Amino acid sequence: MAADPTDTSVESAQEYPPELSRLPPGRHGLPREFVVHNQRERLIAGLAEAVAENGYAGTTIGHITRHAAVSRRTFYEHFASKDECFVVAYDTVMEQLSERVSEAFDEVDDWPHAVRAGIAAMLAFLSSEPNLARLCMVEALVAGPVVVDRYDAAIRSLVPYFEAGREGKPAKVLERLSPTTEEALVGGMVSLISRRIIAGRTTELEELLPDLVEFSLTPYIGSTEAAKVAREG
Amino acid sequence: MRPAPGRQQLSREFIARHQRARIINALAAETAEKGYRAVTVADIVRRAGIARNTFYDNFSSKQDCFLAALDYALEEALRRIVDAATEVDSWQNRVRAGLAAFLGYVASDPPLARTCIVESLSAGPESLARYEESLQAFLPLFRIGRKVSPHGDELPATLEEAIAGGIFWIIYQRIIQNETEQIEELLPELVEFALTPYIGAEAAKRFSTAD
Repeated sequence: MAADPTDTSVESAQEYPPELSRLPPGRHGLPREFVVHNQRERLIAGLAEAVAENGYAGTTIGHITRHAAVSRRTFYEHFASKDECFVVAYDTVMEQLSERVSEAFDEVDDWPHAVRAGIAAMLAFLSSEPNLARLCMVEALVAGPVVVDRYDAAIRSLVPYFEAGREGKPAKVLERLSPTTEEALVGGMVSLISRRIIAGRTTELEELLPDLVEFSLTPYIGSTEAAKVAREG
Repeated sequence: MRPAPGRQQLSREFIARHQRARIINALAAETAEKGYRAVTVADIVRRAGIARNTFYDNFSSKQDCFLAALDYALEEALRRIVDAATEVDSWQNRVRAGLAAFLGYVASDPPLARTCIVESLSAGPESLARYEESLQAFLPLFRIGRKVSPHGDELPATLEEAIAGGIFWIIYQRIIQNETEQIEELLPELVEFALTPYIGAEAAKRFSTAD
């Protein structure tokens, strides 16, 4: 099969996780299925770059194909529109993010430290991928109702990690935890993170770790204990 | 009526203010119905019952009008919060009174609330930046709690931002679920959420239900 003539760019391939990186240049003789799959991932990476540069509204299919180094025709073989490409990109990024968070959380037995590990994993992922961070925490909100619904659901999906903090707590503690505690904690955390991304301070996100840990553990274990876990490590 | 000097000018100012408020309300009503992106200046003009020129006398564009709506609502919200908070004594009661006033304002005008708290997030970078700035205005009310807290000096620097962000997220959720009018029921929970980091959950609970 003939290689796409525009299929030459490798710049910034290493900025993305392996799943999103590009094929090496030149004729590769790889199976078609692999190439097609890879094209799709290149388009997703291309979209993330284009959106980081131009914002969602200002991004055109031309920007995406240029960043992905594929033809316009290839774009339309994979996606019907910019919106569809964005939705797929969003889902891909969020899947990775939630995998990292759940892995980190599950590795630790003790709940306060598991929360700390989960938050650390989230901050590490976002700060190491500023384009993807922007895509899923800021641009998602301007990308239309379909993505906004997904964004809301993604944030709500963090609630169970905190709800786990209720397990085994004395009745006295449970009584004073209102039903919206987890929702408010998650909202507060996301707000802090988004604000830094909007301000272009994505690479500083990991500095938020102690603050976010203390904030989110306080309702369950009290501020003294929460501060202790926050300041460890 | 007293023919005081400058009356003419005052009434012109009054009319101008009234007109702006009317246009902003029309924008909010349209935005809440169809979302910011779908709204046109023609929709706003029709809803407000004004001439197209009158719109452009007041605002340069739909976005300009939208940003003005955010400013207008923020100013009104802060005025109500300050009024309510100055009527009571302790900081804990001020937080409660301030939050009650804020939730009351949100519940009293669902279209404006949706415009400012939901639509502003998706109305483009300038609007998002304005929303983020607005959030800052709520922080001082909470920050006083550091003086009340036994461990005020050790609290995380970002605490107030996280509290305000959490409260806005809860309100956002209720608005998108069309529960704006019942939002005042959340008062005790939100007071508790805001006070807990400063004075502990037990004391916070007492203030959340006190009257």
